[in-house]
Amino acid sequence: MIKKLTYIAGAMALVLAVGCGSEDSANTSGGGEAGANPKTKHKIAYVTNGIDPFWDLCAAGVRQAENELGGVECEVHFPPKGLADQKSILETLLAKGIKGIAVSPIDADGQTKFLNEVAAQTKLITHDADAPKSDRLVYIGTDNYKAGRALGQLVKEAIPDGGEVAIFVGRLEQLNARQRRQGVIDELLDRPSQALGQIKFDEVAKVFKGEKYTIVDTRTDNFVMDAAKSNAEDAITKYENLACMVGLFAYNPPRCLQAIKEAGKLGQIKVCGFDEDDALLQAIKDGHAYGTISQQPWKYGYESVRMLKGILDGDDSVVPASKFIDVGYKSVTAKNIDEFWAEKRKMTALGAKKD
Amino acid sequence: MNKNTLGILGLFILIFGITWASNENFANGYNMTNLVKWSSLYAIMGIGVAFVIITGGIDLSIGSVIGLVAALMALAIKQGWNPTLTVFLLLGLSLVIGLIHGLLITKVKLQPFVVTLCGLLFYRGISRWLTDNQTMQYPNTEGLDSFFSGKVGLFGQFSLPSPLFFLIVIAVLAAFFLNRTIWGRYLLALGNNEDGARYSGIQTDRLKITAYVICSFLAGVSGLLFAYELDSVQPAQTGEFYELYAIAAAVLGGCSLRGGQGAIFGVIIAAAVIRLLRNSINLVGISTHLEFAIIGLVILGGVTADELIKRIVAKRRTAQVNAAKS
Repeated sequence: MIKKLTYIAGAMALVLAVGCGSEDSANTSGGGEAGANPKTKHKIAYVTNGIDPFWDLCAAGVRQAENELGGVECEVHFPPKGLADQKSILETLLAKGIKGIAVSPIDADGQTKFLNEVAAQTKLITHDADAPKSDRLVYIGTDNYKAGRALGQLVKEAIPDGGEVAIFVGRLEQLNARQRRQGVIDELLDRPSQALGQIKFDEVAKVFKGEKYTIVDTRTDNFVMDAAKSNAEDAITKYENLACMVGLFAYNPPRCLQAIKEAGKLGQIKVCGFDEDDALLQAIKDGHAYGTISQQPWKYGYESVRMLKGILDGDDSVVPASKFIDVGYKSVTAKNIDEFWAEKRKMTALGAKKD
Repeated sequence: MNKNTLGILGLFILIFGITWASNENFANGYNMTNLVKWSSLYAIMGIGVAFVIITGGIDLSIGSVIGLVAALMALAIKQGWNPTLTVFLLLGLSLVIGLIHGLLITKVKLQPFVVTLCGLLFYRGISRWLTDNQTMQYPNTEGLDSFFSGKVGLFGQFSLPSPLFFLIVIAVLAAFFLNRTIWGRYLLALGNNEDGARYSGIQTDRLKITAYVICSFLAGVSGLLFAYELDSVQPAQTGEFYELYAIAAAVLGGCSLRGGQGAIFGVIIAAAVIRLLRNSINLVGISTHLEFAIIGLVILGGVTADELIKRIVAKRRTAQVNAAKS
C-alpha cells in the first residue's frame, strides 16, 4: 500500500513538474537548463503587476536587453489576479533559486515586509512602481507625479478655455496611480510642485475647483473592462458640460473613447491619457483624442535587465546614489504621433516574438 | 405576474426614482440605452443560471465559459478563420460544455458545485494557455460587430442595443418553455422534489442535462456579446465573477437555491436592478470604493424582504384555511 502511494505521489510530482515546466516555457524565452550552457548565464525574472499590453511592451525591452547585453537569461511573469498571485510567483521564483528579480509592487507599503524577505534571498529591484521603504537595491521608473503634471499640461492644451475634467483609473491602491492623479490635479489647479516621496494625496470623493478647471470625479474599475466602459458612460451622462476625460491606465482612454463615440460626442469631449494603447494612438491621429504621456515601457524592461546584470556581475557603479533611475516620459500628440507609433510597432513585434 | 416579481419590480422603480430625482440626466436617451444594454447582458446570463437553479443545482463556470468563448473568438479571427463559422462552432462548444456538466452531474452523480467549480478553473486556465494570456483586440468584422453590439436608433439619443433583441428572443423562448410546455412544468416539479418527480415517471436526468446545456449555451451567447461590446478580451479577466452576478440576479429574481421556483421576468428585472445600482452609484456620486458593499447590501435586503413576505403570506393562508375548517 505504502509503495503504491509512493508511486502515485511520485507520478503526481512528475506531472506537476512537467506542468510547471510547460507554463514557464510559455512565458520565457530562456529555454535550456543552465547546466547545458558552458558559461552560466544569470537567471533573472521580470515580474509585472498584471496583464496588460503595457507589460508586453516592457517584455519587449527585456528581450531586447537579453539579446543585446548577453550573459542573462530572463523569465517574464504576468500575475493574473493582483497581490496574491504576485506573491506566489515571487515565492516560486525564490524556490527556484532565481538570481535577480525586478518587480512592480502592487501595494508598496503592504508588501514591504515580504519584499524585504525577497531582497534577503536574491537581488531585488523595483520597476514601474516603487516600494521606497523596502530593501530593494534600485528603482527604475518614471517620476509619476511629474508625468501626471505633464498629463495635466496636455489637458490644459486640449481645453485651453478650461472646463470640467473627469479622471478614470483602474485602482488607486497603487502608488503610481495616486501620484499620477495628484500630478494631474495639482497641475490643473496651478498648485506648486510637490517632491516625490512627500506628496500629500487628495481624497477620492471630492470635487476640486480651480480657476479654470474643475476636476469633477475620479472613478475606479478594478481592471474590469465593462466597469471601465460604464464608468465613462455614466460620467458622460452625469456631467453634461464635461470637457475632458483623463484615463490614467492604458485601457482607460480607449474605453472613454468608445463611450464618447456612442454618445455622439467625438471631438466635443477631449481625451488625454497615459500609455500607448493603439486605439488611443489612432484617436490622436484622427483628432478624436488630444494626447498621451508614454513612459516608453520598453525602457523599463531594458533598464531592469541592464541593472540586474550589472549588479550580478559585481559592478556596483550601475546603481546611482539616489537609487532611482528615471526613464522619463514622452508627451505624444498629433505632432509626433507617427514617429512614436513607428517605434512602438517595432517594440510590439519584438515583444510578441516567442522563441 | 407573481408576488415576488412585483416586489423586485417595486425595488427597481424605487431605485430608478431615487436616481432620477438626484440627477435629471439619468433618464436621458444615452444613459437609458446604456442601462438597457448592460441589463440585457446580465439578464441573459441570469436566465441561463435560473434554469440550473430551478433544478436545485448551481453553475459556477459561467464567467469562465464567457471568457473562453470570447478569447477563442478573438483567437480564431486572428488566425484567419471565418468569423461567422466560428460563432457557430463556439455556440456548439458551449452546448457541449453544458452537456458534459449535465452528464457528470446526472450519470456520474457528482455534485453540481464540484463539477462547475472545476469547470470554472479549467476553462479559465485553457483560455489563458491558448492565448498565452495576452490581451486581444477584436479586429473589424463589420457584420458581426453590428449584429452583436449594434444599435437601432429610436428617437433622439434613445436607441435599442443589440443585446436587448437577444434578450427578448431568449426570454420569450425561456418563459414559454418554463410555463407553457410540459417539460417546463416537469423541470419545476423536479426542483421541488426530485425523487417524487422520478417516481411519477419524469425522466429527471434528461431534464437536468437540458438545464445545464441551456445555461452553458447562454453563457456562450453572453461571451460573444460581451466581447463585441468591449472590443477587447483579457483571457484572465473577461467574465470573471460574472457567475456570481448571474446567480444574484436569479436569486433576487425569485429563484430559490433549494430549487423548484423561478420566473424569467423576475430574473430580467433583478439583472436590471443590479446594473441600475451600479449606474446609480456613479450618477449619485457615491464613492467608487463603496460599490460592492451597496450592491451586496441591496441584494441581501431584497432577498430577506422576499422571504419575509412569503412567510407572512403563508401564515395568512394557513390562518384562512384553519378559519374555513372551524
